[in-house]
Amino acid sequence: MDPELIKDCVHCGFCLPTCPTYLLWGEEMDSPRGRIHLMAQHVEGTPVTDEMAGHFDACLGCMACVTACPSGVRYDRLIEETRAVVEREHVRAPEDRAIRGLVFALFPYRRRLRAMRLPMRLATRMRPFLDRVHPSLGAMAELVPPPARPVRLPPRVHALGRRRATVGMLTGCVQSQFFPRVNAATARVLAMEGCDVMIPPRQGCCGALSLHSGRDARRFAKRTIAMFERAGVDTVVVNVAGCGSSMKEYAEVLRDEPEWAERAEALRVRDLAEYLVELGPVARRHPLPVSVAYHDACHLAHAQGVRSQPRELLRGIPGLELREISESAICCGSAGTYNLFQPGPARELGDRKAGHVMATGAEVLVSANPGCSMQIAAAVRRSGKGEMRVAHTAEVLDASLRGLGARALGRA
Amino acid sequence: MTDAVLTRLAGLFGELLPADAVITDPVRLRTYDCDGLTYHRATPGIVVLPDTAEQIAAVVRLCDEYGVPFVARGSGTGLSGGALPRTDGVLIVTSRMRRILEIDLQNRRAVVEPGVTNLAITEAVRDQGYYYAPDPSSQQICSIGGNVAENSGGAHCLKYGFTVNHILGLEIVTPDGEIVELSADDPGYDLLGAFIGSEGTLGIATKITVRLSRAPEAVTTLLAAFTGIEAGGQAVSAIIAAGIVPAAIEMMDALAIEAAEAAVNCAYPQGAGAVLIVELDGPHAEVGHQFAEVERICRESGAFEIRVAASAEERAAIWKGRKSAFAAVGRISPAYIVQDGVVPRTALPEVLAGIDRLQEEYGIRVANVFHAGDGNLHPLVLFDDAVPGQGERAEAVSGRILDLCIEHGGSITGEHGVGVDKSRYMPKMFTEEDLDTMQLVRCAFDPRGLSNPGKVFPTPRLCGEVPGVRKGVHPLVESGRAEQF
Amino acid sequence: MNDDAGAEEVLTAALTDTGVAIRPAGPDDSVAGVRPRWVALPEATEEIAALMRVTSAHDLAVVTTGAGTKLHWGHPPERCDVLIDTCCLNEILEHEAGDLVVRVQAGVPLDALARALAAKGQELAIDVPLEGGTVGGLLATGIAGPRRFRYGTARDLIIGITVVLADGTIAKAGGKVVKNVAGYDLGKLFTGSYGTLGVIADATFRLHPLPTARAWVTATFDRPVTETQGTREDEKGVAFDTASVDVADEIRVIVPAVAESQAEPSAIEVDWPDVNGPCVIAVLVEGAAAAERARAVQDMMGEKAQVADEPPEWWGRLPGLPGLPGPADRAGDEGVLLEFRNVASRLPGTFVGPFSTAATTGTRPAVRGSLASGVLHVALPPGTEPAAAAAFVGALRAECEDAGRVVVLTAPEEVARRVDRWGHVGGLTLMRRVKDRFDPERRMSPGRFVGGI
Repeated sequence: MDPELIKDCVHCGFCLPTCPTYLLWGEEMDSPRGRIHLMAQHVEGTPVTDEMAGHFDACLGCMACVTACPSGVRYDRLIEETRAVVEREHVRAPEDRAIRGLVFALFPYRRRLRAMRLPMRLATRMRPFLDRVHPSLGAMAELVPPPARPVRLPPRVHALGRRRATVGMLTGCVQSQFFPRVNAATARVLAMEGCDVMIPPRQGCCGALSLHSGRDARRFAKRTIAMFERAGVDTVVVNVAGCGSSMKEYAEVLRDEPEWAERAEALRVRDLAEYLVELGPVARRHPLPVSVAYHDACHLAHAQGVRSQPRELLRGIPGLELREISESAICCGSAGTYNLFQPGPARELGDRKAGHVMATGAEVLVSANPGCSMQIAAAVRRSGKGEMRVAHTAEVLDASLRGLGARALGRA
Repeated sequence: MTDAVLTRLAGLFGELLPADAVITDPVRLRTYDCDGLTYHRATPGIVVLPDTAEQIAAVVRLCDEYGVPFVARGSGTGLSGGALPRTDGVLIVTSRMRRILEIDLQNRRAVVEPGVTNLAITEAVRDQGYYYAPDPSSQQICSIGGNVAENSGGAHCLKYGFTVNHILGLEIVTPDGEIVELSADDPGYDLLGAFIGSEGTLGIATKITVRLSRAPEAVTTLLAAFTGIEAGGQAVSAIIAAGIVPAAIEMMDALAIEAAEAAVNCAYPQGAGAVLIVELDGPHAEVGHQFAEVERICRESGAFEIRVAASAEERAAIWKGRKSAFAAVGRISPAYIVQDGVVPRTALPEVLAGIDRLQEEYGIRVANVFHAGDGNLHPLVLFDDAVPGQGERAEAVSGRILDLCIEHGGSITGEHGVGVDKSRYMPKMFTEEDLDTMQLVRCAFDPRGLSNPGKVFPTPRLCGEVPGVRKGVHPLVESGRAEQF
Repeated sequence: MNDDAGAEEVLTAALTDTGVAIRPAGPDDSVAGVRPRWVALPEATEEIAALMRVTSAHDLAVVTTGAGTKLHWGHPPERCDVLIDTCCLNEILEHEAGDLVVRVQAGVPLDALARALAAKGQELAIDVPLEGGTVGGLLATGIAGPRRFRYGTARDLIIGITVVLADGTIAKAGGKVVKNVAGYDLGKLFTGSYGTLGVIADATFRLHPLPTARAWVTATFDRPVTETQGTREDEKGVAFDTASVDVADEIRVIVPAVAESQAEPSAIEVDWPDVNGPCVIAVLVEGAAAAERARAVQDMMGEKAQVADEPPEWWGRLPGLPGLPGPADRAGDEGVLLEFRNVASRLPGTFVGPFSTAATTGTRPAVRGSLASGVLHVALPPGTEPAAAAAFVGALRAECEDAGRVVVLTAPEEVARRVDRWGHVGGLTLMRRVKDRFDPERRMSPGRFVGGI
């Protein structure tokens, strides 16, 4: 925890109303300002107590506070450093350790993830039992969407019409397993907008899960950089908010290895929406008469500052009505692995978000992060209001560009 | 106060409040050691997070019974240390009391709990064309309870007044734990007026009835750039002399602009030595007329660029720089003091020149952000705490600025409050008799001096028994730490 | 007898020794029927302090008066030895036009102040509904007129005060800047305190620029209330006559529409001289483009509405008071004057309350005041039966329930004895404690205020 970064905080409190846990509990130590205070206490010599670790663990890492901070406090870096300290210095309760071990042994590895699909389906039925064993297991079972038919993407998708660019594409661990159609849609949209899309096979985890939980992500980062270098692209388009935000941090993650940091700098990482707006539309948009509520994924809106671009793309679709969700800056509670490690508050935040989403009356929920979609869909289901149709920005664009109509959007 | 008493109190609170609403863990307690003014810190003995007025009353009654001081805190954004805790006392935090209880548009009023944020009220009624007028810069987080304690203003109070002009009723817990309703409609002393702005020394507001205002038909925001602060000041005087009362007139000097640019890229005109933000609101016809006047005046006073916000987004962009200015200064200086003083508007040029002289004399930079319409200065005194002696020099400059304000017939605080930070300046602004008379109000509400003691007034004072004869000598008096009053 | 006369002489000497002009009080100096022994005419704040030290030393009760236009308001004092007349504290101490602030002594007549401010294109935006009063009287009673809807009342515009306490302490609070949160706001505490906390020596107010233009839109409504006769059957099938009273639909629609309109009226007033007759509603629009905005209001008020650039003659005056009140003790020679507050949107109550109450008590009230802020004055004509007047007060309170407040401002003694002057007062215990601190010996206008304070 860098004391200089801590000192940047002037204690103004502007972060408080944007912090999900402060909204839930109204406690100073569960606000960014309070957590920075705790970090300062640690720097001054207070050991990491159970209480302290609990307040750090409760942080979703949504980074809404970073957006809100007028003093430019790098809370994102502070909390990542802090999580590393907690991992190093704090001994967790045995069952917590087991759960964390399970998640980190599973999620970043797509083959293991694939292998888990069947057991997880069974787990859905066993939820009440799992809930009793450990709430995290219950949460996992609740969130998992029905297994999807795998979609195999070719290593190269050629541009339709005149080629305007060549880009690499990250497929993401959770995305490729549970939402493979999003990847297919992303590749198609890019191609229809005139891009050659390079999709290196056997992509590993980009390191996001580790990075956001205070674990060493350097191995994942180097592997990903090398992979796209081999593919011969200098621009990587990412359709998962969490992955995009960590890839944009590679140079920071690898700062102790200047050669790697330089290679990281050379790789241009863009969120899909961000990239498409930069590129400018050429493909024809067919009408899509549907009302959608756009959800700002924290790792897109706060970590990457991408707010206007997805909206601009959606508004560009004839017939589509875009509705705003109130409290849009507040996290849905998914937050990477948060809903697995902190199922209680994650559920409360999910319910809160689901309420706001349903209040829009929109037919389809659109977001750019699979975790958010799973989280909000689960909360809607819990409320007994049936299944919420969810779609990725890429799928909506895909449907419009291909003239598919709105019926299929967000249906399993 | 002994630890034993606090331990006992914590146990009793545990019987009244949910387990997670009583904080005694030292690491957690320390996160409450200051409000928005980090210069003063004290770790509270106990923190409670009550949910209802009855819980607050019960906590206060126990404090009264055990003679333990208590301090109320909302969002902890105050800039005068008004919510600085007592190590020997209880900090009562209202951040969980954030329900909007009633919205009555027909009567233009809303009833809210003290932890509701200022902006949340406006957000709740905005779609219906209403808003809550006082708008301190921290409005997205500062609590309405804190606003009541501090009588908060904001950029728009030039035209619309302060918190005290927009509160129609309060439910308060008195320092002896009674729940009392005060209403603007009731005959009798204006206790509402006395309570608002008393900085938590007369009790704790637990329910607040606010006046809602009709959103104006038209709002025009104009940004005028000047080469220097003098020209901007001239424009302000001329606008007022023309009989125009804008909703807000704000000014920032070059250094403040630099900070805001660094923080939020507000893109104010290049080369501006000062910017003036003028906001006019009201009926279309009136605003149109006044706008032409203001624009003419700004040009005549030497504005080299004038921008007019054409949409709500553009207005927000103009305000963004101003509203973020305090915290933004953190980008251009390792440390700084936010000062808050007021001078009669006509004395602004002299006082600003005086601040310039102080900068030179002490070798300390001062960024000026101010509510020019009502002479409320917010000099930001910049320093580097790593440089030995700079902190002290900055402190000295900050104090001298207040002296300047007092010399020119102004006030030591326009909106941040006296708190713990400025109590020592109170005797410069008021006589002993003035302070003694204010103390009479304190004694009426809080004879034992348990409600936020050590704030506002320079010396701890005790209230004599009234009526009747004083009994013995209080230990504080005997030891010379307090004056009998 | 000789001892008494001797004591009187000692006291007179003590008072005279202060150097303040003292004269024996005459019958015209009575305060709500209580005749003081001396009248003192201080010329400076220090002189008030000197007087107060003497009254404190000799346990003399003090009442303060300005022009005496409202001296008979409130309970008669329990005792009154010295009447402090502020007539010689009549200086405008400071008026820096560029600051929109004025500091005035308590004895300055409001009309003189208005003239001085108008010369600089400014005003103190309070329309006191009684002519001839002073700054001190305005503050002591907190009275306000039509434009309270836009500007609030004295407590909203006072920014500084100097007072002299019962023991002679001179204290000030606030200052001469509009924005100021240093220390307790004694100005507000003293505003509307009926002289029971101390003597107000001077006050500082925030001012407003005189509006560039003003326009009044008035309309007459022949039947402000409607009575609907009908029959109903109870559960046993027995039919009985019913009469329901309600505010006329057009008023119910027009008043909120105008109040919430973007024409931003400064005041919406009603004059209803006889609750069995028609009423006039007048709306004031001020500022740039007033004429244009007045036309918008006119459109809302219907065909019969008229625009004028002069107010109706009743505008900003209390109801039922013919002629100008003088400084004499007026208790007993005029009718009952009530302040009637009703939460604004309970417009029906504002009309139905006085109407129904008049019918059940056989009285003939005149109503005038602010519909927009729900503060009205109700006058019962002189000669109203005391019992009927008392019944009227009680019934009106009952009629408006929690949403309203009825305060008896003036009443002949016969009526006053039978009514609770103040009605509901929240926080009375705290008020008593405040009084105990400021005036522990109860010598400042004792008994005149709420709860016998």
